Amino acid sequence: MSGGVIRGRDLAQDLALRVDAVVVGTGAGGSMALRELARAGLDVVALEEGGVLASRDFDQREDRMLPLLFQDAGGRATEDMAIRVLQGRGVGGSTVHNTNLCKRTPDAVLDLWARKFGVAGAGVAEMRDAFETVERDLSISEMDPAMRNANNDALKRGCDALGWRGGPLRHNRVGCQQSGFCELGCAYDAKQNAIKVLVPQAVTAGARVYADVQVERVLHEGGRATGVHGVALDAAGLPVSRVEVWAPIVVLAGSAVGSAALARKSGLPDPHGQMGRGLRLHPGAVVAGRFDGAIAGWRGIPQSYECTELLSHEEGSDKRVWIVPAFAHPIGAAATLPGFGAAHMAAMRSYPNLAVLTAMVHDETSGEVDVDGDGRPVLRYRMSEGDRQQLARGLVGGARLLFAAGAREVTIPAIPPLRMTRASEIDALDLSTVRPHSVPLTAVHPMGTMRMGGDPASSVVGSTGEHHHVRGVFVADGGLFPTSIGVPPQVSIYAFALHLAPHMVERARRG
Amino acid sequence: MRGSSQLPLSRRRFIGAAVAGALTLAAGIAVVRTRGYGLRAGVRLAAMTPWQYVVVEHAARRITAPDRPGDASVPSADDVGVAAFVDAWMVRMPARVRRDLGRFLAYVEHVAPLSAGFAARFTHLDPVSQDRVLGRIESSSYDLLRAGFDGLKSLVFIGYYRDARTWGLLGYDGPLVGRPPGGWR
Repeated sequence: MSGGVIRGRDLAQDLALRVDAVVVGTGAGGSMALRELARAGLDVVALEEGGVLASRDFDQREDRMLPLLFQDAGGRATEDMAIRVLQGRGVGGSTVHNTNLCKRTPDAVLDLWARKFGVAGAGVAEMRDAFETVERDLSISEMDPAMRNANNDALKRGCDALGWRGGPLRHNRVGCQQSGFCELGCAYDAKQNAIKVLVPQAVTAGARVYADVQVERVLHEGGRATGVHGVALDAAGLPVSRVEVWAPIVVLAGSAVGSAALARKSGLPDPHGQMGRGLRLHPGAVVAGRFDGAIAGWRGIPQSYECTELLSHEEGSDKRVWIVPAFAHPIGAAATLPGFGAAHMAAMRSYPNLAVLTAMVHDETSGEVDVDGDGRPVLRYRMSEGDRQQLARGLVGGARLLFAAGAREVTIPAIPPLRMTRASEIDALDLSTVRPHSVPLTAVHPMGTMRMGGDPASSVVGSTGEHHHVRGVFVADGGLFPTSIGVPPQVSIYAFALHLAPHMVERARRG
Repeated sequence: MRGSSQLPLSRRRFIGAAVAGALTLAAGIAVVRTRGYGLRAGVRLAAMTPWQYVVVEHAARRITAPDRPGDASVPSADDVGVAAFVDAWMVRMPARVRRDLGRFLAYVEHVAPLSAGFAARFTHLDPVSQDRVLGRIESSSYDLLRAGFDGLKSLVFIGYYRDARTWGLLGYDGPLVGRPPGGWR
């Protein structure tokens, strides 16, 4: 037992429970649903595939934290290996390793979902309470400019010099030591996230949480959920015992990837072939600027300032790229810089003088989550030409910002690298090489595979979050979103889980 | 009729013999080419085969080749045990990923040198030739090969830059945790 969480590896024998509701996954959506169901008086259990970690476990070492915090030790990728997809595992999910960015679902996106996808009851006004509650519960506030590090300062200088729209970001951190290791878990317990705030509240309200339990199947019969089957895993990830939880309410909250894969493996009815489709990723790539002075971008809060000059959430906008700082620790930086051998090491010596920005695409590409013969998720995603152009536009924008901030040299790590020593060279770049398999692409925001909507022919769940064809199966993660949202999703996921929880409670009570 | 029935049979026999011969030859080459990979004393493998380990060892030396040869402050891939680290790392990866890595390493060792104009296997080439082979893979027109190289490069760099001895060349001062209060200030 750790912090009220039972470790599956400690189970002495097979586990069989009969409860009111079972939540699969304990990230932003799962933890929120868990708390709300427990507070409503339901007997509720959460099952989490990964382990449970505490602040003392986060030693700020990439090689040790990647396997603990990320799916496939950080090696998860799209099937064609073009995009690395960093996804959390463990109690707290991706809220343990994210960089605390907190933005509401844009109004234009909520309007679009209502207008075009028939999502009811989740308009701007109707979601306001949920957002405010999340922001209060997670102590979300605007970052103090005094806490802005040199990498973020470079972005702000660039925005100011070009007259581009930018501003400070809001975060869920209290007592931050500005170590800069947010993506490896907070050693100072400053993140006001799922594992620190919501899981303890859920446990206090009576919920039980089992870590190291991999759910293999959602059970359903006659169009109704009946529970889940899974296995408890030992420290090596090997099964040690069986787990059966019988419940009329099953909340899928294992991410847009995990939930879709589980739904498909479980054979949930899908007459219109919608489950797993519609995958959005927010793919991004980086551009690096070398400065004369020290940046030491690994020190301090990684992302406290944003540039929104090239981003609009209005439908059909030709501005779909968000620019934020994206400094990496040595392993991440080495993997991103182009080339190898002596030239690569020479570039790595510039590490303290680099400022790095990322261009994240508010994507329109529609991918798919499937499962392979071993039951593992397969992510298919072929970036559209429109998204590729947005990516190129964003990287060019990043290059302009870095030059405007005073960079001596700017590099887009394509094959071959696009290097510039003056801003005037930007217009002559051959941007055809800015494409998958040429620039390193990373995504951290899978969405859209279990979409909400009014029409069962084009969505997986209704506006209440309940599966169109299986009563009692709900979704409470980024899979819900009918489109890309174009902002970091954690607040949206927390808020939608909160918004949908009353429907889960009602279903549990009415049957 | 007799003659016409004999001809196809003969052709089938010929084709069958040719296929069998080719398979035997391929198997023989495969057996020969996966032998002769000596591991250093004390190396115990968890995920990779000996030949895969040796390919990673050679590739890691080139991927982390120093920009200032002779600079004793920069450790080599062998110094920090990159190949052993990659072997241990792969234990945690899904079977599909381990299989893909094995196939890619086979390509690096046996096929990529040929496409770069070398008859010898990758691990028998001199460093300059190995760089040429790796460079061709990195810039290959085949996306899958580029992706494979990117994956191998990432694995090697995890194994290399995890070691605190490499941080000096980066000016990186390592984790903050465990230091006196006050952070970076």
